[in-house]
Amino acid sequence: MAELTIHGLHKRFGPVEVLRGIDLKVSSGEFAVLVGPSGCGKSTLLRTIAGLEDIDRGTIEIDGREVNDVRPRDRDIAMVFQNYALYPYMNVSDNIAFGLRARRTPEAETQRRVRSAAELLGIGGLLERYPRHLSGGQRQRVAIGRAIVRNPKLFLFDEPLSNLDAQLRDEMRSEIKRLHQDLAATMIYVTHDQIEAMTLADRIVLMNSGQIEQVGAPLDLYDRPATRFVAGFLGSPKINLLQGRLVANGRSLAFEASDGTSLALPAALAAAAHAHVDRSVTLGVRPQHIGEASGIAGRNEVTLRTAIELVQPTGSRTYVTARLADAAVVAETDAHAALKPGATIDLAFDMGHAILIDPESGKVFAHGLAE
Amino acid sequence: MTSETVDRVLDTPVHRHRMPDRNFRLWLVFPAVLLLLLIGLFPLIYSLVISFQNLTMLDQDTSFHGLMNYAQLFRDRRLWEAILHTLLITAVALPLELVLGLVMAQLFLDHMPGRQLFIALIVLPTIISPIVAGATWRLMFDQRYGPVNQIISWLTGQQQVLLWTVNPKLVYPAILICEIWQWTPFMFLILLAALSHVDRSQLEAAELDGARFPRIFFKIVLPAIWPVMAIAILIRGVDLVRIFDVIWALTGGGPGTMTETISIYTYIQGFQQFESSYTAAIAFLIVALMSIVVTWAIRRMGLAR
Amino acid sequence: MNARRRLALPLRYAAAIAFTLFFIFPVYWLFIISFKTPAEIFSYPPVWYPKSIQFANYWVLFKDGDAFTVWNSLVLASISTLIAMVLGTMCAYSLVRFRTGGENLAVWIISQRLMPPIAIIFPIFLLYVWLGWVDTYHGLIILYTAFSLPYVIWMMRGYIEEVPIELEESALVDGCTRWEVLWKVVFPMVRAGLFATAVFTFVFAWNDFIFALVLTRTEVITYTVQVTHYFGGQSNFWAKIAAMSVLGTVPIFLAVATMQRFLVRGISMGAVKG
Repeated sequence: MAELTIHGLHKRFGPVEVLRGIDLKVSSGEFAVLVGPSGCGKSTLLRTIAGLEDIDRGTIEIDGREVNDVRPRDRDIAMVFQNYALYPYMNVSDNIAFGLRARRTPEAETQRRVRSAAELLGIGGLLERYPRHLSGGQRQRVAIGRAIVRNPKLFLFDEPLSNLDAQLRDEMRSEIKRLHQDLAATMIYVTHDQIEAMTLADRIVLMNSGQIEQVGAPLDLYDRPATRFVAGFLGSPKINLLQGRLVANGRSLAFEASDGTSLALPAALAAAAHAHVDRSVTLGVRPQHIGEASGIAGRNEVTLRTAIELVQPTGSRTYVTARLADAAVVAETDAHAALKPGATIDLAFDMGHAILIDPESGKVFAHGLAE
Repeated sequence: MTSETVDRVLDTPVHRHRMPDRNFRLWLVFPAVLLLLLIGLFPLIYSLVISFQNLTMLDQDTSFHGLMNYAQLFRDRRLWEAILHTLLITAVALPLELVLGLVMAQLFLDHMPGRQLFIALIVLPTIISPIVAGATWRLMFDQRYGPVNQIISWLTGQQQVLLWTVNPKLVYPAILICEIWQWTPFMFLILLAALSHVDRSQLEAAELDGARFPRIFFKIVLPAIWPVMAIAILIRGVDLVRIFDVIWALTGGGPGTMTETISIYTYIQGFQQFESSYTAAIAFLIVALMSIVVTWAIRRMGLAR
Repeated sequence: MNARRRLALPLRYAAAIAFTLFFIFPVYWLFIISFKTPAEIFSYPPVWYPKSIQFANYWVLFKDGDAFTVWNSLVLASISTLIAMVLGTMCAYSLVRFRTGGENLAVWIISQRLMPPIAIIFPIFLLYVWLGWVDTYHGLIILYTAFSLPYVIWMMRGYIEEVPIELEESALVDGCTRWEVLWKVVFPMVRAGLFATAVFTFVFAWNDFIFALVLTRTEVITYTVQVTHYFGGQSNFWAKIAAMSVLGTVPIFLAVATMQRFLVRGISMGAVKG
């Protein structure tokens, strides 16, 4: 399995700079997910790794070998496309075998590998069929089969699940994860769906406007986002962001919202935030860390009373939107709590999981969790 | 309504009205169909009737003469030579136009500066009238003042006075050059459009898989453009079989009867020899044969669905 | 990979220029002959470009009245195109929206486009002689119209299919008659297709030779037949051939240039949506 190293990658399309200085290292056997909003450059980055796009500046190394000028077919990589890119005039077996035949692999060997790949993916019975007679999920498996049959150093996935319906997507996601475990291969996966990113990745590479915002394990990015963008991108529903100021509060600090509402910061959080006292800050608290107050105050909890605006049940949880200092705050409550719009509610904020963001730079300068 | 009939109604393709209006729809097609009968049915019937008679310029004999004219068809050596000439031209021109068109389409597929201008200029021969094309090449091939001979003279270093429109060895090349010159852009245009519609990600996947250009071209590109190519071949094939204008302009069917095609021969029989009945027999045969072939092709390719 | 691409371009360019020269040179030659003086035309070695542009050859055509044939072509082509467009679109609409005549009618109509003119022209000629329609405007117009119909029907079928049927259904609910739906809703939606098809139909009729050859004598000669009058056994009236050809060709260039967006679709009979 291969290691991928990218240094200082720049690429422009005409006047637009699509990749602005990418540095990335993916270890052997790692599952790296490139995720970000539309237009952030993730697909372009993937295609430069594949060799389907030129680069203007920088280097790409696969297993220590620089491949900038190496043709796609000589890079020993395989790619699964969003629209599967199956050859409609060949049956499944020929589709999968295509790459092997192109490299003049002996026929017996080819057949063997095609069969084992098909078995692995559960499509062994479809080898004679043609793509137009397959369902979306089956086509996806054929595309994956075509990739794995060549035993490449690197697997690239370009939003492979985007064309599938929600239920199928869940299924295929598990399959891909299982595949990674079975093959122990280096995989680079592009998606715009943060749930896919969170569940599949060993490490997430979150991109925005042609640059990498943060790289790290999923829970790292989730709990300790580096910037406002990262905090807002991961997590559904989105993290709550409140504007306000940091004020002194006895020996500690408190966050004061625009309407004077005050939330005391726990010691760990305050310790990192001392330099920002009396300055504007943005406070971030995830809905999962705001709930209905239970009467017993937790260690880092701050309770506030507000009025309910919206109630949205999802079956397993109910999301309550309330107003706090001109901002809408979403809290997560027990599914069976009888809550109605207009009623008042006591919300408990777990400040131990809160983060503080510098409004100007967008950087997160303090979070309450131990490093 | 059973659930089956409900399904069938709901299966009606989305672009058809579900409540047909009988009179309206028939009146809509009536004028067009009437006119089409003029060229579609009438010639067939009329040819058939006359072909059993013995009408010529001099002899207005409308009595029934049985299959006399058809028997003569089989004995008519000039007719069979004309058929041979037609097939020869078709068999040479069609593949050449196809291959040349493909090469050019591949050449112009990717972007290059001035591409639009090149394509606009290349397409001009297809737009002019075939008779004008023939006239143009007649001027080009003139033995003394034509540029073709001049260029050949430059290349060979000695003055050439090739009689392109008279020399038996040169008439067919002349006709073929003119025809291919005029219609390769047609093929080129169609193939260019077809090539540009090929799914890029399939090509990229193949490239990643390690395939080189020939394999990609023959196994992926060709099958993908085949439906369009088939239609183009059908249209051009049929046009080549009825070639007339170009030959009329260049050689008039000569020298002698060397470059007579089916159309030219039929014209001569009908409008110069005035062998009306015999010409009708030929006409009927042509229409009958073409109808069968063309209808089969249309149904086979699903063009009418 | 960059290096490989950079190498290919000059080669492609050279090939592109070579092809373009091959296809454009004869047209160029035709055009400049029409502008040359007799001395320049019949000079050896050939004059590759004339010293100055002479319109004398064109003037002769107008003076002799030969240019009138272009007018004939115009009349015949435009009227037949107009009628064919109207009747053909109506028919196409019925075929698409009501499946009138099923596949059989559609097959028959399309097959007419592929019939050889010579086989059809002969019986027609005899009929026209009997009717006294030889060398008349209406005779040829009817024939051109009939021959253009298959193409118009085939093309407009494709354009009509692209109009969402919901628009028509909504108009019907709003109170339109079927006739109104056709003219007020569908026609405007396929305007672009109408123009494109009309231009190509016009070009087919304009460029026709064999029908005009058979069915005209002196009154209704088209420019295509007129050109062949300048072919001689001994000598050809080169200047006239060229000038008349150019006169008949320039209008077509202009017409197609305006419709060049639809070029591929029109030429391929809708096989490719260009």
